[in-house]
Amino acid sequence: MAFVNIQETPLEIDLLEKRVAIPVNGAVLSFIGQVRNNSRNREVAYLEYQVYRPLALKEMLRIAEEAESKWGCTVAMVHRVGRIELGEASVAIAVGSPHRAEGFDACRFCIDTLKETVPIWKREFCPDGSYWIEGEDAIPTSE
Amino acid sequence: MTQANPVINPLERTHTRLIGAHMPTSGGIQKSLISGKEIGCTVVQLFTGSPRQWSHPELTEETVQLFRATHAETGIQELIAHDSYLINLAAPDPAVMNRSRGAFRSELDRASRLGISWVVTHMGAHLNQGEDEAVQRLIESLKLILDETDALGWTAGIALETTAGQGTGLGWKFEQLGTILKGVGDHPRLGVCMDTCHVFVAGNDIRDAVTFNHTIEEFDKLVGLKYLKVIHANDSVKGLGSRVDRHAHIGEGTIGFEAFRLISTDPRLLHVPIIVETPDAETMHAVNVGKLARMASGIIGVQLQLHGSYSDLTPDSTVCLELPCGSTLVELVDAAISAYPKLEGIRSHCRFAIKDTVIDTDTLLQEGDVVALLPPSSGG
Repeated sequence: MAFVNIQETPLEIDLLEKRVAIPVNGAVLSFIGQVRNNSRNREVAYLEYQVYRPLALKEMLRIAEEAESKWGCTVAMVHRVGRIELGEASVAIAVGSPHRAEGFDACRFCIDTLKETVPIWKREFCPDGSYWIEGEDAIPTSE
Repeated sequence: MTQANPVINPLERTHTRLIGAHMPTSGGIQKSLISGKEIGCTVVQLFTGSPRQWSHPELTEETVQLFRATHAETGIQELIAHDSYLINLAAPDPAVMNRSRGAFRSELDRASRLGISWVVTHMGAHLNQGEDEAVQRLIESLKLILDETDALGWTAGIALETTAGQGTGLGWKFEQLGTILKGVGDHPRLGVCMDTCHVFVAGNDIRDAVTFNHTIEEFDKLVGLKYLKVIHANDSVKGLGSRVDRHAHIGEGTIGFEAFRLISTDPRLLHVPIIVETPDAETMHAVNVGKLARMASGIIGVQLQLHGSYSDLTPDSTVCLELPCGSTLVELVDAAISAYPKLEGIRSHCRFAIKDTVIDTDTLLQEGDVVALLPPSSGG
């Protein structure tokens, strides 16, 4: 059973791994995306994520369920929104699978698809101002 | 239930329908007309006395004059009264019956003096003492009161309100309402008030064109559209056939917007004034009256919710717009860009969603839709 969530509080990776570490699985792995101190040659101070929750939750669940049925694994996926400091996790995906190969493939599919389709937007706060990131574009915030 | 931001570039209201609300009378009964006018009512319903008390202070000539002068000043086109909740014109107990008839005569007296055209009343309750006998007693009460008050030259009519079927209340089935009207006989001062919430929870669906039309035809066959003098437009908290009467804001309950669009534009009903009796009168009557006036003019109100970089390009991240009925997402995008040229970019590389579903450009929009604008994602 896939588990997905969007929350404002810090992510708890241990709890996420426990959800997928069920007895049929021989491999448990997780991917963690964390806030980097630089982006596009600019220093980054912190990030803010905005979400369109109704569609984001539905899309995350669709991705997790697709991975589960394609690779026969168990997926738990959580995204954090709001203000997130450097070094803190913004997204975490835990995959449990009978063997490691399916697990790696499933996890990669989940994070790649999430970045592409889940309606969540990142705003980078830099010393010279803030930028909305939309796909490949960084758009300076107009005040 | 949120109160929306002001509409950008509102469209012109072209309807001639009388639309209003049940307005509070605190500070004097004439206050209902002033506050009604302020929120755009062209018809107002009010209590002329306290709805939970048997006796009312005498309506002085001074109060009547002040009310009539305010009526003239505000230009409210029609006035409706609602009677006291205590009145039971079908009561099995002779003492309660006497009291009810007396109180209802007084309702008609006050309404006539104030220039109110119809007094809406529930049809009483049988209190498990025999339903057929109760119907007969109600018919007798109505005949008696109409005869007496005709003789006195009183002008206010009686509008029997369709009920929800709660407890032992009479008149929730169209057949029974028909029986009562037939029993009293045609009378120019006898009419009916249809309450959308009551009709719906009593088991008559009105949520789309087919069911709405069927219910109106049934009403015409069993009651008679010629009797329809007032419409109470209320959405419902409870479901179809639940027989539980709890009013919800227009479009936000179990009935939904389409029924109210139909009721405000159906050619068979255009001459009948519409009154809302929804909760939170102070803040929400203006919103609900506004929704009906918009629908009567063939206009829908929609909101565009901006995300990502676009949320910084307008004064408020939710933009309220009006569009002609039948507009699609294309028209919404055009209207948004015409109001805020900076939004031009939304045409080319954004997705749009309503609730949890992505929509196409030819998606037909409806009153109350909140459309989310989704720029390319950058989660992870």
